[in-house]
Amino acid sequence: MAEISGSVVKVDHGPKVRGEARFVADYPMEGILYGKTLRSDRARAKIQAINVPELPMGYVVADARDVPGKNGVLIIGDDTPVFAAETVEFVGDPIAMVAGPDEAEVERILREIEVEYEDLEPVLDMRKSEKVFYEYGYEKGEVDKAFAEADKVYEEILQTGHQEHGYLETQGITVVPLAGGKVKVHGSIQCPYYVRKALVLALGIEPGDIQVIQDVTGGGFGGKEDYPSMIGARVAVTALKAGKPVRVVYDRREDMATTSKRHPTYSVYKAAVKDGKVTAMDIDLLYNAGAYTTISMVVLQRGTICSNGVYNIPHMRAHGRSVKTNSVPNGAFRGFGAPQVFFAVEMFMAHIAKDLGVDPVAFKEAHFVKKGDKTSTNGIFHHGVPLPQMNEKLLTASDYWAKREAYASQPKGRYQRGIGMSYSFHGGGFTGTGERDIIKAVAALQKYPDGKVEILTSGTEMGQGLFTTFAKIVAKELDCPIDQIIVKLPDTDRVPDSGPTVASRSIMVVGELLRRAAAKIKAEWKDGEAQRVEERFQQPEWQIPFNYDTFQGDAYPTFSWGAHCVEIEVDTYTGEQKVIGAWACYDVGTPIDTTVVIGQMEGGFLQGIGYAHMEQMNYDKKGRIRSNSYSDYTMPTAADVPKMEMHLCVEEYPEGPFGAKGAGELPLVGVPGAYVNALEQAIDKDFCHIPVTMEDTLTHWREGGQA
Amino acid sequence: MVNGYAPQTLREALEIKRKEQVSPYGGGTDLMVDHHRTGTYLFLHRIAEMQEIKQDDNYLRLGAGCTFTEVQEHALTPPILKEAISRIAAPAIRNLGTIGGNIGNGSAKADSVLVFFALDAKLRLMDADGERIVPIHAFYKGRKALDLALDELIVEILLPRVIPTRYVYHKIGARAALAISRLSFAGLWNVEGGKITACSTAFGAIDQVVVRIPEVDKILIGTPVAELDSVKERYLAAAGEAINPIDGRISAHYRKTVCLNLLDDFVETMKKA
Ligand SMILES: Cc1cc2nc3c(=O)[nH]c(=O)nc-3n(C[C@H](O)[C@H](O)[C@H](O)COP(=O)(O)OP(=O)(O)OC[C@H]3O[C@@H](n4cnc5c(N)ncnc54)[C@H](O)[C@@H]3O)c2cc1C
Repeated sequence: MAEISGSVVKVDHGPKVRGEARFVADYPMEGILYGKTLRSDRARAKIQAINVPELPMGYVVADARDVPGKNGVLIIGDDTPVFAAETVEFVGDPIAMVAGPDEAEVERILREIEVEYEDLEPVLDMRKSEKVFYEYGYEKGEVDKAFAEADKVYEEILQTGHQEHGYLETQGITVVPLAGGKVKVHGSIQCPYYVRKALVLALGIEPGDIQVIQDVTGGGFGGKEDYPSMIGARVAVTALKAGKPVRVVYDRREDMATTSKRHPTYSVYKAAVKDGKVTAMDIDLLYNAGAYTTISMVVLQRGTICSNGVYNIPHMRAHGRSVKTNSVPNGAFRGFGAPQVFFAVEMFMAHIAKDLGVDPVAFKEAHFVKKGDKTSTNGIFHHGVPLPQMNEKLLTASDYWAKREAYASQPKGRYQRGIGMSYSFHGGGFTGTGERDIIKAVAALQKYPDGKVEILTSGTEMGQGLFTTFAKIVAKELDCPIDQIIVKLPDTDRVPDSGPTVASRSIMVVGELLRRAAAKIKAEWKDGEAQRVEERFQQPEWQIPFNYDTFQGDAYPTFSWGAHCVEIEVDTYTGEQKVIGAWACYDVGTPIDTTVVIGQMEGGFLQGIGYAHMEQMNYDKKGRIRSNSYSDYTMPTAADVPKMEMHLCVEEYPEGPFGAKGAGELPLVGVPGAYVNALEQAIDKDFCHIPVTMEDTLTHWREGGQA
Repeated sequence: MVNGYAPQTLREALEIKRKEQVSPYGGGTDLMVDHHRTGTYLFLHRIAEMQEIKQDDNYLRLGAGCTFTEVQEHALTPPILKEAISRIAAPAIRNLGTIGGNIGNGSAKADSVLVFFALDAKLRLMDADGERIVPIHAFYKGRKALDLALDELIVEILLPRVIPTRYVYHKIGARAALAISRLSFAGLWNVEGGKITACSTAFGAIDQVVVRIPEVDKILIGTPVAELDSVKERYLAAAGEAINPIDGRISAHYRKTVCLNLLDDFVETMKKA
């Protein structure tokens, strides 16, 4: 293991364990107004009138008419209104915001506002949607020919459900109007520059007039990528109208019922098999975007590109659509469109193997991509693919073959066991040429006369450990102790735009910029002087430019890899499922801090288990989310954490700092495939959807002809 | 601000209850989920008389103000109740939540209540003028509908001194901790001279109140353990008639299937024991 991989105390550890860290809800409220959001209780309707009661002194209500700039939150498109103007498009769609000095009074006003609606028929089923937000497709090889020549053709429909982020700290933002029409924004934010960009449009002011600062943030998982832009715009409009600072902090029910989630999907997979191998796939994906486009474009791109999983499929066609429904807009979530397709392709491959009478592990292994192979989009796997070694490691660690065989012939009884494996990758960084053409990351180091060096990036710390790993990279390159390095919560007035803290890009892309900056500052080091160095992103020369029209080229410069094994026991009297063994092996390149990386792996793995069978987001027929609390939406608790054995395999990435590549999203992406495959073996039934609930399990077991 | 009274004695508490509209407050773990700023509370945590666990000639008396943790750690507590409590929420909630509150909440999903039903517990209710003792099954009139007058408090839970010694307990929650029962089952029995001499079952979270089926339990009483097989079919058929769960977050069909599976297992367990 590289020297840098040794673990240190996290740089933000002290203030957090001592309770000194200040979250947005911790600021004293003197002089700040409480803001609350008026929301639609209809899934789709025309707004006829908003009747506001007489307001006491010091209280304001802001709605669409008060938006000084464009009534649109700029994310990728700007169709998400700051406040709904003519129509509401989902239950929870914000219509107005009430603000004032007394919280209870604000709530009273909120209750007394009457909205008159003319109901319209909502579309809640994505398959019935006629509004396509985005559509992508690509083809490689000769798909039709391969199907025509196949020994056998398979077809399956695979579905995935919503997933809620469940960050510990709910969404919250404060906006402070400053003299001269400027505003200062601070809050629970994953991407400060995204918020600034959105406010430029909504407020119609210059970027330089908007200062966005991240407060200490209690978890994001993607849920604070685009959403803070929406709250930020709403609070800013209200604060400007009130002429006073306004703070909005959601309560848990509001957060769960109205903020973004993982896109549910409905996928149709077809495969041609010849001589025991899959020669072609034809894949059709449907992503439920919800009411507005938000970030669905890129989620769909990643999903479509990754839809063949870790398998070398010489002939393939993929087609993906992201459609509108009258439900909460779905957004970014760890994995970003990939967990859905990895579940689908893993199950599909396992089902084909079963039909062919071979073990799924052997079947999948025979299709693993390797270095030099073409990717789905005719890019190249430029770097080593350690899947075979990772697989070997897990087979041994879990004793897979012996268990798989034993469980295949277990007698039918109350408790049935099964074991399953799955494989995944995650491409680090923005899809295609996004890093070069869209983000254009800049990172800087500021050296002070006393020799301390401050890291200047827009990278945010959300509990994932970024401040620590950034500091370690710089300290290592400067060959100085870590306490010589200063990292502060980003403030757009002080830091360059190094891009959003998303897409498993921060270490791989921004970390490398920092390493280079540190090398430069070291070479030019002058004792007792202030020095500043900036580094800009450059796309590796060997990367094949990605064409967004044809979906051809390198979608990602490199990949991180994952292999997972899950062993479960099912109580066939009740359908209860219990994980009795969990193993994984991940390649994230050089771990910059082993404890941080293992933390990400274990947490991601658990989130994957929750996604596979526990977490179910229920809607009623009117489009209202019923699972709006932790007691109804059951995520795993500490008591549900199985014994997890995490292994690391290191395939260094030459362009990453000390060989590191993306780690944040990978560990969740492939888990459901292993989980459900284990469940399938336990009760000898195939499943094509997640979450697989207790009720599903019991129903399938009984249909299986149990005495 | 929370408004309320924190009396030291039961007498005081009952006087307040007679005069004022106050919500009894045990640990607040149900009340605080939907806390209303305007509510007035009668805090019970200082009333020592409601926090005792003791035995007399007829009953094991559990003070309604005992927390789950106190009940669980007490030497006199029946094992089935200890096991049920061990699956409630998580330690923090168990340290605050009381058994009186579990009953007072009026839910068929309350886990200690299931055991109280299975044990045919009685409740000692008091108002400022006196007391009455009500069997728990009569106390529950429906979901959130309790035979409790406005000026009354639940003071004690009375368990029979002698209860069946063997038991099966099963709680189905959506996860290992902090999970509200989706279905729960308690079954107790005794064997003497090779025969089943007592049998009592209860099902939680399948209807508006906890379900008891004493007439079906009776089928097993008197049956020699060696002959359980011969009555099992009749027993399960009768249970199938008697148990008719309602639809909820999970389907009535699932609930019924699981109830019958658990009863099947219950008989199998009796055979082995
Ligand atoms: C996160 C969480 C998890 C939970 N998990 C479980 C679980 O697994 N199983 C379970 O059964 N419950 C669970 N609960 C519910 C709750 O903890 C229990 O019902 C608990 O027993 C309530 O007791 P308490 O003392 O806190 O009640 P309180 O909230 O104080 O009161 C509940 C109700 O009873 C009334 N009341 C209280 N004491 C008396 C009295 N002496 N006389 C008359 N009325 C009274 C109150 O006025 C109120 O209406 C959970 C709750 C939470 C918040």
